[in-house]
Amino acid sequence: MLFNSLEYLIFLPVVVILYFSIPDKWKWVLLLLASYIFYMFWKVEYVALIMFTTLVDYFIGIKLAQKMPKKRKKAYLALSIIVNLGMLAGFKYLNFFSESLNGVLDFFNAGISTPVFNILLPVGISFYIFQSLSYTIDVYRGIAPAEKHLGKFALYVSFFPQLVAGPIERSTSLIPQIAKPRAFDEQRLVSGLKLMIWGLFKKMVIADRLSMFVDYVYNNPQQNAGVPIILATILFAFQLYCDFSGYTDIARGSARIMGYDLMINFNRPFIAKSLRDFWNRWHISLTTWFRDYLLYSLPYIKNNKIIYPLFHLNLFITYLIMGLWHGASWTFVLFGAINGLMVALEIMTQNLRNRFYTFTHISRYESLKNLIGTLATFSIIVFSLYFFRANSLSDSFVLIRNTFDFSTMREAFYFMRQDNELIFGILMVIGLLVAEHLHAKYNLVSNLASKPIFIRWSVYLGFIFFVILFGVLHAQKFIYFQF
Amino acid sequence: MSKQFARRFILFISMLIIINLLLDQAFKAFSVHNILNNKLDEQYAEYDDTLKYLAIGNSHNCVNTYILENSFNYGSPSESLIQSYYKLKHILVEKNKRPEYVILQSDISSFGPMSADRYEYNSYWIKYINFLELAKIKKDRKVLTKWIEGNFFSYAGNYKDVQLSIVYRAKMKDLEMYHGYRPHRDYKNFAKHANRQRAAWNKARRILSKDVYFDDATRVYFEKIMKLCQAHDVKIVMVRYPMTKEFSDEERKIVPAEKLFGEVEEIATRYSVYQGTFDYHDLYFNHPELFFDPDHLNVKGSDLLTERLAKDLKDLEDPEIKVLLVP
Repeated sequence: MLFNSLEYLIFLPVVVILYFSIPDKWKWVLLLLASYIFYMFWKVEYVALIMFTTLVDYFIGIKLAQKMPKKRKKAYLALSIIVNLGMLAGFKYLNFFSESLNGVLDFFNAGISTPVFNILLPVGISFYIFQSLSYTIDVYRGIAPAEKHLGKFALYVSFFPQLVAGPIERSTSLIPQIAKPRAFDEQRLVSGLKLMIWGLFKKMVIADRLSMFVDYVYNNPQQNAGVPIILATILFAFQLYCDFSGYTDIARGSARIMGYDLMINFNRPFIAKSLRDFWNRWHISLTTWFRDYLLYSLPYIKNNKIIYPLFHLNLFITYLIMGLWHGASWTFVLFGAINGLMVALEIMTQNLRNRFYTFTHISRYESLKNLIGTLATFSIIVFSLYFFRANSLSDSFVLIRNTFDFSTMREAFYFMRQDNELIFGILMVIGLLVAEHLHAKYNLVSNLASKPIFIRWSVYLGFIFFVILFGVLHAQKFIYFQF
Repeated sequence: MSKQFARRFILFISMLIIINLLLDQAFKAFSVHNILNNKLDEQYAEYDDTLKYLAIGNSHNCVNTYILENSFNYGSPSESLIQSYYKLKHILVEKNKRPEYVILQSDISSFGPMSADRYEYNSYWIKYINFLELAKIKKDRKVLTKWIEGNFFSYAGNYKDVQLSIVYRAKMKDLEMYHGYRPHRDYKNFAKHANRQRAAWNKARRILSKDVYFDDATRVYFEKIMKLCQAHDVKIVMVRYPMTKEFSDEERKIVPAEKLFGEVEEIATRYSVYQGTFDYHDLYFNHPELFFDPDHLNVKGSDLLTERLAKDLKDLEDPEIKVLLVP
């Protein structure tokens, strides 16, 4: 069931009305049932996987909270990690490793091959497994208490607004909210609905519209060159942002209506002044997950001193694995590797850049320095997106090579000028960036809320019908559902 | 929930519903495609049961009814074989009007999934299509939402149609339509296009799929058309309409045409009402000036094609020539 579908438009109000009609002590039951039904809309059998993850981590969590030797605790944690990552590896990466190994075996004419299976990736598996794993790790570390109520823990793992594409919530944030449901709140209903409409605008009007041009270029790499490739890659950055942040807004809005606060997953990533800044603003729940559970778990301290080369290497490894998390393909590995390498280089060259800015007097002009940082960051991210979006490694290299072919520029401009959807999509992106800037500066939402009801309602109704009229209606899957 | 909030919430939702209703009705009344399609219906309704040739299909269908005597061009924009079936069923079963021949469009793009998954102008088609049946055949319950869209949200996602309706509002008053035929494609000449190959490539990739050349649901509905015509003793002539050489070249890179038409022919020949296929796709390969765009004839092209079609249809009735005409 997609968020931008009529089914969800019916499902959510029914759940919300029932939710606020039943006593608090049964709310978790309703939400758990609703979450499993929501998941079963994708594929009924795969709900068994989510139940399995839930049961394993529930019992391991209980065990980890008990007093026992550290070695035994580590063994339980290891069991949780092996089971969870084993499931993820089996469903998501088995064929990738198998095909890669077959490629190597073919290269050496080994005459043998490993089997490749026809496995359908369960929707949201990367998200709910990471969410469940964060719970067992936090319990092990003593940061979070073990949840003794199986049903409420099951709801934490499968809460439908964030089940299939995050945000990846920490148990310390979500479980207490499940334990103490909030009463109906008018303001939360209104703000939740506003967030959902904004998310639908980003998804249906911008992301799905941009995808037409991006798909056209990326699905035909040999037939495109120069400006269309550059434009498609830049627009893909915005498509990805609008698609994913739009989904998150709908998820947060849906949860907010019922009284739950989910974490912010995006914070205006395109104004980032450095790569580190960017990754602190983009898919925040994932980057903080990797930071807390992988990066800081890797060794980089010796004799109470930080070994910087080791830390930089750990950064690279973390980003590499984060790239691989996105998909079982060498394109995603390269995506991660590029970002990891550039982040490490960014840290290593910080002093050099500061000296450069001082030498050139750019440091006197904060805005100019920030602009350079923003443009450089955006360029690096866009370059890495060649690999993220390309259908294969060879396609990505064809696209990069063709980027520098400007021989058909005139013809390309001619066709792009005629593409009304493209022009409209670009205008909407500009509109979005302006709106986000104004909102950050003047808090547009609060500003509007203080206006007379006639003006407020005109804006709300106008915006809703704008989304319905200009939205791309053939419900497209959210990009991050494939991860 | 406070009373004031409840009142405001209900008022807001009511306004949402009312405005939606107004927009929906306004779109249905003023949409240029609805106006065209409804006019087609009106003109066809004037016919008694003496029609000889009924041409159905999408915008490729350019049969000039001034030239082909006793004919009606019932093609409508973006019409798929699925939609053609339901319209034909309405004509034959509900209206009980039986033409002697159905001229059925059978271009490569008619059989692909892109055509089958198009639901433009749903507000017009909801009166014909049985969405429950369609959802069962397509094995996709999301099809049912198209019924809801067509009935209550006809304007949804249709901003292009709104734009066209405003731009062409004035032209609609002087709309020339004779037995369904509109001679409107006269303002572009494909021969003068800056890059014909690229334009053809763009178009082909938009309407054709590499993965599927014969959509499953379309296959079912194609056979249903055959069965329907067989049951009502209506002869079928299939026509592959002309296209530019550039477009044909691009089509063949995407779709295995021989394989597709082999399967189409295999289905069609099971029915005695099937008279054969007139394959005109390469008729004007050397005449790009007869085209409006890569796969549509302009007015002059439509006239020439119809003259040829009229001759071939006449020869079809001569048993000696028929054998030579349609192998």
